[in-house]
Amino acid sequence: MTVVIDIKHLNKTFGNHEVLKDVNFQVRKGEVVTLIGASGSGKSTLLRCINLLETPTGGEIIFNGENILTEGYNKEKYRTHLGMVFQQFNLFNNLDVLGNCIVGQVKVLKRSKEEAINNAMKYLTIVGMDRYKNARPRQLSGGQKQRVAIARALAMDPDVMLFDEPTSALDPEMVGEVLKVMRDLAKAGNTMLIVTHEMEFAKEVSDRVVFMDKGVIVEEGPPEQVLVNPIHERTKEFLRRTLNK
Amino acid sequence: MSFLETVWNIFQNNWDLFLRGAWIALILAILGTIFGAIIGFFIGVMHTIPLQKKSFKTYALKTINFILTCYVELFRGTPMMVQAMVVFYGLYAIDIQLNRFVAGLIVISLNTGAYMAEYVRGGIVSIDKGQYEASEAIGMNHFQTMFYIILPQVARNILPATGNQLVMNIKDSSVLSVISVVELFFTTNSVAGSTYRYAEAFLIACVLYFIMTFTVTRILLWFEKKMDGPDSYRVELVTGNKPIKDGE
Repeated sequence: MTVVIDIKHLNKTFGNHEVLKDVNFQVRKGEVVTLIGASGSGKSTLLRCINLLETPTGGEIIFNGENILTEGYNKEKYRTHLGMVFQQFNLFNNLDVLGNCIVGQVKVLKRSKEEAINNAMKYLTIVGMDRYKNARPRQLSGGQKQRVAIARALAMDPDVMLFDEPTSALDPEMVGEVLKVMRDLAKAGNTMLIVTHEMEFAKEVSDRVVFMDKGVIVEEGPPEQVLVNPIHERTKEFLRRTLNK
Repeated sequence: MSFLETVWNIFQNNWDLFLRGAWIALILAILGTIFGAIIGFFIGVMHTIPLQKKSFKTYALKTINFILTCYVELFRGTPMMVQAMVVFYGLYAIDIQLNRFVAGLIVISLNTGAYMAEYVRGGIVSIDKGQYEASEAIGMNHFQTMFYIILPQVARNILPATGNQLVMNIKDSSVLSVISVVELFFTTNSVAGSTYRYAEAFLIACVLYFIMTFTVTRILLWFEKKMDGPDSYRVELVTGNKPIKDGE
């Protein structure tokens, strides 16, 4: 399968603190990859580096054959190819649900309003939020907000969807509705890169699980291997702590 | 004749002057607040442009921002009455004869702009970082992010402060009488002078000022409520025969 994102020797430091050390990793088309690891292991930073919300301090990110870290590379255009879902939802507070899903299509992708609305409604229906199209973000529950955020990202028709701990800020009873949407997306063949603490979910949807610790990728492979029979001691230790909770 | 009868008499005989004065005061205040808000937004945005590496652009921006800061400090730090004198007679001295109303409007706008600049800057800084990240993540540049996402939220958040400014402007337009702008204080003064009834005339001015400020405050409160909409959303669509419950 074609490699969509190819990360080579990626480094990121905040001051003297090395958050990512020589990270090498790939995402292929149609693949669902989950990033797991303890807090502070660098998994969120890796995700944020991929869409340049953080600027890497070294290495290369190759997207469809081009290094996006080259000076003068069109950052805005590149970002339209990636859909980002945040832990804190970050819906645009000044716009209603439909507005959230069309503003990028109209202003960035220059689609016609009509086309944007049709496309937005298609994805709002997929996430089950079409009936809330005129609602304001503050009128929605956390789970509903996150589903709208997913629809907003999908409406841009991205090549890869990035999820940064999409269920971590949710009340327990709302985690299910968001995971269900993500499960459906995975089944539909979307390319997804997910940072998550939901181990059961990771086991179920992932084609590949990547375990990170202290800024390096310790182990990666199919979920049966990484999550059930890990090779490395650090992975075993992490799983013991997480699963025994 | 009792005091209140005299008041009523004076109003009946001079109502056109009073209302004309009130009208000018209101127009000055409203236009001044609008132009002031435009100045404030411009400065607030200039002050919050993220500075990249050292380049010509950065230095140019820093110079402009320094000049803008000087303007803000000068106009916040001096009385509007004095500003009115300096602007009107200062321009007169260099042979620029401004219409008194226009001079008054310039002073009130510049004064409001100085205050609004700080409200806007504060408003921009207080918007959650996630709003910027989300707009960047869908490919918006800085200009688009500000224009479509951040500034509309800032405008909503500083609406109470802007309303305050409008109320202050209605009252403070009275100081423009020093350059003979024919607003409510000025017309009241002339009515008082011609009738020798100062207390009565200014009581009328008082009532008119209060009616204007009170009405404006109520309208703004109503407008804020309307902008925010209700706290919960009702799903009214029906599938089949059963209404769908919220949050299902």
